[in-house]
Amino acid sequence: MAAVLKSEARAAVDAAARPNVLEGERVTKRFSETVVALEDATFSVPEGSFVSLVGPSGCGKSTLLRMVAGLIPMTSGTLAVRGEEVKAPRTDVGMMFQKATLLDWRTAVENVLLPTELAGRTTDADRKRAIELLHLVGLEDFEFAFPRQLSGGMQQRVSLARLLQTGADILLLDEPFGALDEFTRERMNIELLRIVDGIGATVLFVTHNIAEAIFLADQVMVMTPRPGRLAKVVDVPFARPREIDLITTAEFNEIVAEVRGILGGH
Amino acid sequence: MTVEATKYVDLGRSAGSAATALRRALIHVAIFVTIITVWEYASHVGHLNPLILPAPSNVAQAMYELYFVTGTIYRHFFVTMYEAVAGFFIGGVIGLSLAVGAALNQTFRRYIAPYAVVFNVTPAIAVTPIIIAWFGFGWSSKIALAALIVFFPVFVNTLSGFLRVNPDAEEMFRSLGASKMRTFFKLMVPDAAPIIMAGFKVGMTGALIGAIVAEFAAASEGIGFLMQRFSFHLDISSSIAVLLSMSIMGLILFTLMEALDATLIFWKRDSRLPAISQKRARRFRKQMTALAAQ
Ligand SMILES: Nc1ncnc2c1ncn2[C@@H]1O[C@H](COP(=O)(O)OP(=O)(O)OP(=O)(O)O)[C@@H](O)[C@H]1O
Ligand SMILES: [Mg+2]
Repeated sequence: MAAVLKSEARAAVDAAARPNVLEGERVTKRFSETVVALEDATFSVPEGSFVSLVGPSGCGKSTLLRMVAGLIPMTSGTLAVRGEEVKAPRTDVGMMFQKATLLDWRTAVENVLLPTELAGRTTDADRKRAIELLHLVGLEDFEFAFPRQLSGGMQQRVSLARLLQTGADILLLDEPFGALDEFTRERMNIELLRIVDGIGATVLFVTHNIAEAIFLADQVMVMTPRPGRLAKVVDVPFARPREIDLITTAEFNEIVAEVRGILGGH
Repeated sequence: MTVEATKYVDLGRSAGSAATALRRALIHVAIFVTIITVWEYASHVGHLNPLILPAPSNVAQAMYELYFVTGTIYRHFFVTMYEAVAGFFIGGVIGLSLAVGAALNQTFRRYIAPYAVVFNVTPAIAVTPIIIAWFGFGWSSKIALAALIVFFPVFVNTLSGFLRVNPDAEEMFRSLGASKMRTFFKLMVPDAAPIIMAGFKVGMTGALIGAIVAEFAAASEGIGFLMQRFSFHLDISSSIAVLLSMSIMGLILFTLMEALDATLIFWKRDSRLPAISQKRARRFRKQMTALAAQ
């Protein structure tokens, strides 16, 4: 199948029409004098776009996500979500961690309801939605299973459902399927795309896998380590929805080569 | 320093067919019967001095008398049980409260830590004479020593359980904007519960030791007192019978704790999950229909 390229002009119009929900200006994080996790990262993320962060271990991907989530303060620079400076966790920003971090003493649906419970009272509508979300991530018949009764992939699905239950429309995903096998991961990625397209969410997605980063994203932020830097933002111009055989096309592999070149040059 | 939470493996028990289980049980019985027979035989042919090590039949006889003829054991048994359990609750509540305070407040933790260390390295049993001087010869000194021994494992396990709460889960709670209060009850308490429970289990055994040791030192009733009376009279058969009663008491208390552990920390036991999962499903559906009916 030939990749369908959006014309350059069309892509530019798209991006211009959508406001940036996320803007970072010279974002820097130092953990100590010597440990510079992230230096001078400047970037912007338009509403509804899917942005991948790719780079080797230790280049500051998780650090960047945690700053956007308001979990850790930055050392210098400015970081704004919907024009407001990030100071603390926000309800419109949700984060999914590399580990599922489910609570072992709660059933799947009780885990999904956690964000609601922490925010206040749980209503009937919340319960209904939690069940619907579990169905959406493909967990019919497992609504009342405990995490220990679920496989790693199923636990990640619960974790994804929990993220969606927050109602956040800016989703930060830190290698969400990193621990899964290749097949499951591919399937989860395709489901993820379907889900985020459905709710029109903006996504920041961290991965080590270049092909995965490109397949999923509108933009790939390529990062390099020591000190952590945002080396380049690569546009991915393929139309959606995308089919998995996109990754065998020449256009796709050109972008893979470009990203690999940026990473290899460091 | 912390007592690790039980690994939830049944020691000595492993999966196998009913036939294997039966064979194992038979071997256990065979070993036990052999030992008892050899011991009994050795006593009868005069290899063992009955004043030092009486024959199993003598011990059985003494046991029978204690329980069914004179019935002396019951009062002493329940006195000690009461002291141990009372000490367990007092020491447990104090240990738990101080540990929660220390876990939630760094300043408090910093200033209490040195005392906890000194407390830990001092053999609690050595405090017995002082405790008796303070609390007298009655029940209260036994309860006090039991409580003292329970305190430490509960305190240390509770504190380190709270300090070791899964940092990923903590970050997840933070990203969800959870209040301190809700994080405490919905994450910290259940996450630390297995380690806290392990502390209570060790504490329960310690409570029994504390009560009995205090009875050795000065008492007019209780199973430790009874044991001492018999051994002063060189009635070793009855002493061993009392010792076996202490084992029974220990087993009762331990079994209670295990049952409590299995109920509270159900999620560590795979075999319990299906039933609880069904119960939760029913509860959830009931909530849904109740709300839908309004
Ligand atoms: N809490 C912390 N204290 C000190 N240094 C830290 C801390 N967190 C991260 N670092 C350092 O910051 C750098 C970037 O870490 P980060 O976790 O953001 O990398 P990453 O790109 O997510 O790596 P990976 O792909 O392995 O997850 C690393 O050198 C790391 O050692
Ligand atoms: Mg990381």
